[in-house]
Amino acid sequence: MAIAREAEPVSSIKETKEAGLDREDLLGIYRNLILTRGIEERGHILYKQGKIPGSFYTGRGNEAAAVGVATAMRPEDVGTPLHRDMGVHVVRGVEPWRMFAQFMGRVDGPTRGRDGNVHMADDRLGLIAMVSHLPAMLPVAVGAALAFRIREEKRVAVGWFGEGASARGDTHESMNMAGVRRLPVVFVCDNNQWAYSTPTHLEFACETVADRAQAYGFEGVVVDGTDVLAVYREAKRALENAREGGGPTLIECLTLRMEGHAVHDDAFYVPKEMFEEWAKRDPLERFRTWLRENADFTDQEEGEISEQVKKLLNDAIRKADESPLPEPDGEVDAVYATPEELETPHHK
Amino acid sequence: MAVKTYLQAISDALRDEMRRDKRVFVIGEDVGVYGGAFKVTKDFQQEFGPWRVIDAPLSETAIVGGCTGAAIMGMRPVAEMQFADFISCAWDHLVTVAAKQHYRAGTAVPIVVRLPSGGGFSGGPFHSQNPESSFAHIPGLKIACPATPADAKGLLLSAIEDPNPVLYFEHKHLYRRIKDEVPDERYTIPFGEARIHREGDDVTLVTWGAMVYTADEAAKQLEDELSVEIIDLRTIAPWDRETVLESVAKTSKALVLHEDTQTAGFGAEIMATIMEEAFEDLDAPVKRVTAPDTPVPFAPPLEKWFLPQVEDVVAGLKDLAEY
Amino acid sequence: MATQTAVDVVMPQMGVSVSEGTITKWLKAEGEEVAADESLLEISTDKVDTEVPSPASGVLTQILVPEGETVEVGTKLAVISPEGGGEAVEEPPEPATQQAAEESADASGAEGETPTAGKVEEPPPPPSPEPAAETPAPAATPEPDGDGDGQGRSFVSPVVARIASEHDVDVGQIEGSGRGGRVTKKDILAFVEQGGAKAAPEAPPAPAAPAAPQTPAAEPARAAVPAQAQAEKVEPAAGETVEPMTPMRKGIAEHMRRSLDTSAHVTTTFEVDLSKVVAIRQKLKREYEERHGVKLTYLAFIARATLDAIAKWPWMNAEIRGESIVTKSYVNLGIAVALEGGKGLIVPVVKHAEEKNLLGLARAVEQIADRARNKKLMPDDVQGGTFTITNPGGFGAIHGTPIISQPQVAILDVEAMVKRPVVIQDDAGSDVIAIRPMMNLCLAYDHRLIDGAYAAQFMRDLRTNLQTWDESAY
Repeated sequence: MAIAREAEPVSSIKETKEAGLDREDLLGIYRNLILTRGIEERGHILYKQGKIPGSFYTGRGNEAAAVGVATAMRPEDVGTPLHRDMGVHVVRGVEPWRMFAQFMGRVDGPTRGRDGNVHMADDRLGLIAMVSHLPAMLPVAVGAALAFRIREEKRVAVGWFGEGASARGDTHESMNMAGVRRLPVVFVCDNNQWAYSTPTHLEFACETVADRAQAYGFEGVVVDGTDVLAVYREAKRALENAREGGGPTLIECLTLRMEGHAVHDDAFYVPKEMFEEWAKRDPLERFRTWLRENADFTDQEEGEISEQVKKLLNDAIRKADESPLPEPDGEVDAVYATPEELETPHHK
Repeated sequence: MAVKTYLQAISDALRDEMRRDKRVFVIGEDVGVYGGAFKVTKDFQQEFGPWRVIDAPLSETAIVGGCTGAAIMGMRPVAEMQFADFISCAWDHLVTVAAKQHYRAGTAVPIVVRLPSGGGFSGGPFHSQNPESSFAHIPGLKIACPATPADAKGLLLSAIEDPNPVLYFEHKHLYRRIKDEVPDERYTIPFGEARIHREGDDVTLVTWGAMVYTADEAAKQLEDELSVEIIDLRTIAPWDRETVLESVAKTSKALVLHEDTQTAGFGAEIMATIMEEAFEDLDAPVKRVTAPDTPVPFAPPLEKWFLPQVEDVVAGLKDLAEY
Repeated sequence: MATQTAVDVVMPQMGVSVSEGTITKWLKAEGEEVAADESLLEISTDKVDTEVPSPASGVLTQILVPEGETVEVGTKLAVISPEGGGEAVEEPPEPATQQAAEESADASGAEGETPTAGKVEEPPPPPSPEPAAETPAPAATPEPDGDGDGQGRSFVSPVVARIASEHDVDVGQIEGSGRGGRVTKKDILAFVEQGGAKAAPEAPPAPAAPAAPQTPAAEPARAAVPAQAQAEKVEPAAGETVEPMTPMRKGIAEHMRRSLDTSAHVTTTFEVDLSKVVAIRQKLKREYEERHGVKLTYLAFIARATLDAIAKWPWMNAEIRGESIVTKSYVNLGIAVALEGGKGLIVPVVKHAEEKNLLGLARAVEQIADRARNKKLMPDDVQGGTFTITNPGGFGAIHGTPIISQPQVAILDVEAMVKRPVVIQDDAGSDVIAIRPMMNLCLAYDHRLIDGAYAAQFMRDLRTNLQTWDESAY
């Protein structure tokens, strides 16, 4: 018997209006979902063409969870999205061509080829670049929330982690400290049920990750991660609660990782029936159907969005491909920050 | 100019900086109500309140990781590890997140981690270590190890100003034992500039932290027969290669002294640099006096065996003199 | 537990960083009985105020530090003597541990510190109340003398080697004051200051030995001091005289040794009939002297013929650089010149020799040999050689195995021209014995680069050039 609250699905347009979304917003969400998947699909192709070095990870199946949470954030909020959260970068406004440049290790990627994959973030958009050590970004999100609390700003930090990462001590220390200090932070668990090849029952013994929230003194909620509107509603609720001094919330978005851990992994260990079952709940299909049934979404609108995204991606890849590979130049100097770099609005 | 203990110099500098700069806050275990295990932040909470002098749960990972997040949001966190030894619990956040964030993502992480370090009082294996060399190996971190009250103040203020993660090792054995004049005005001491603690012509002795005093005592004992130049590095990341090499060019003999254990200690880096850059200046092999490669023992005779003593330094200097 | 001997009460260490404490109150007076663990006095430190329990049962016979005074941790405060023992006997205090137990409850507290009772050793830093020499240094103390440590006076440290090189000092002449008689930096500096250095940098025009040509100009001085030169001073035995090597001799020694260690030397000898050359020389000699003021030597002919052969066999004029073969489009022809009295050997270089005809070569060789003998060579004159000719034949030698001048790959040894009976074919094709001016040419080449067949073909062509001299071509 789970301790955490199970979120209801969103059924009517009335509910979305109450949550603050008009029709334009809904179409925007749809576009961001399509774009998120598009970036990863095109990246996948580039990887197989040998244009992306290293490994390539996608968040297929997690698009709604990422887009839903990011849509609920305000511009002044910050977050530490992970490698399955491309949707967060998309919603926050990272230009797709820079994402491709990042994948390909080009100078115009946010890390200028110094790091790869989704190990990037544009801090001007309120995002902090992740590291491979999951969930090492949770304490960082808690620290950002601490800064907001010290300065009494009405801002919230969002920290992402996976159900695999929930087994590490960082998760515990972060939630404990945030709970003790009632910090304005929202923890988002992307529970895609597989940590590489390890299933959830070998990662934790409680029923849901969100169950643990009670032990830290705040609310835990499990939401269907393929339902973008439900994710949005729960995230919005948690963010506004944190903003008003109500402390943290742990949101667990339940999804299935629809591909291997990375491109090299065929996920043979995931039962076929599981993929089949979850394929019926594809977050994009689900939202498209909802829009058609509840918001008079037309073929023409769908076609326009699809064309628009396709063009955006084509242009982005072309532009990224024009960006050169980096030369080793000033690498040693780049290790340390200079005092001038602190002359940003943040640091005043 | 007031005479202060090393501890008071740190405490006063931190307090003054918190008065001057509202972005600076302190976080650590027992730093608030109790004033810190060594009382460095005594009465701070009364003045600055519980949100700028934060009693953290026993969570080194969350403390250092939290400082990183707060720093990126524009704060100037000063974390206290109750003992430098406990930094191992926060290794990941210093090494994986804070140290690499600027190189890969261009994000400055201006945090200071205060680390009461060193032995000499039967603290045993977990309250006596000098783990600075482990971090000197990590690109992206800076490391200060002040020896005098005046340097303790100037280097702490530099550390807070610095846009990078700084590990500030304060030697517990100096806290109340060392008293000296500390200028009243605010000043900073640049990282990477050594201090010539004592001038000499015959042997260069490179050291830092509490060992400056051990070196000083040894040099005094040999005063009549040997002229020892003592270089107090003050910071080991970055470290002042030029001053060391200049001194070695003059003396042609060098001894490196540190309280940390020997193998892959920072002394090895200094020796390697002298070998690479000043080979043709050398009139003897570069020598080091360090702790042996064991954990820090507890019982006084064992700990005395472990810590480099004045006699060890005297013997090392004599050996070089006679070479 | 009553004490059997006198026990000291010392100022405890109330915290890791605490170095001193103040006595606020004695709870017992001198002469009063006290039980073990009973509170004996109150102290105050930077960190805490506390009572100090008695380390033993007995009588407080002596209070050494009065109330209000501040003393260092470990200072003896009082003496507890056996009950009825009367006089306290000063004995070395036991390493009292009783106190630790009481404090250990605090160990889990913030500092985890354990106050050290009993005699507290003052660790490293400043004024130590105890003589530091109480225990011998744990570090291995080195042998006072160098016997058997293999670092006898023959070892020259890097800085001493450098100074020796800069001042052209023979380290062997210096009395060493270091371990095992090693010459220290101070020793050599003192030696130099006292004028011990030999006429140093003015020496001969740069390094004159064959080493010179290829030595990068920047570092001639250092290269000129081979390691062997720093050997110990040689005492003459009966019938011997000893003189130091000149820098030139040292340079030659080092270079010759190094060349043998570098190249795979092979020597091949060809016999050449110089009849034609002799006839031509006879014809041109006077004209050269009178019209051009140049002595026409056989060497000039050989040089010219060699240059033509090199044009066909370019590796003769090459060098091995790392793992690459570097072939040159020009020939800087080194001519080995012996200095009088065995003073040494110098190899001036005719630059771009391939551009000169017989006359030009004859003049160039003459000029440069003169400059060598008169010590008028400029540093540039001895650098950059690509092929060398040496000419011991002038003294009558008929065979030699010369050593290559590094980094060249071949050297041609010109032997004496001797009239010999040789079997030739007459115009009718019959074998006849004739008297011919014959000369042996010995080529030493570096087999790393040049194989035997290549060298032999080069020599064959050289011989042909000389035997079929085409006068009009020069």
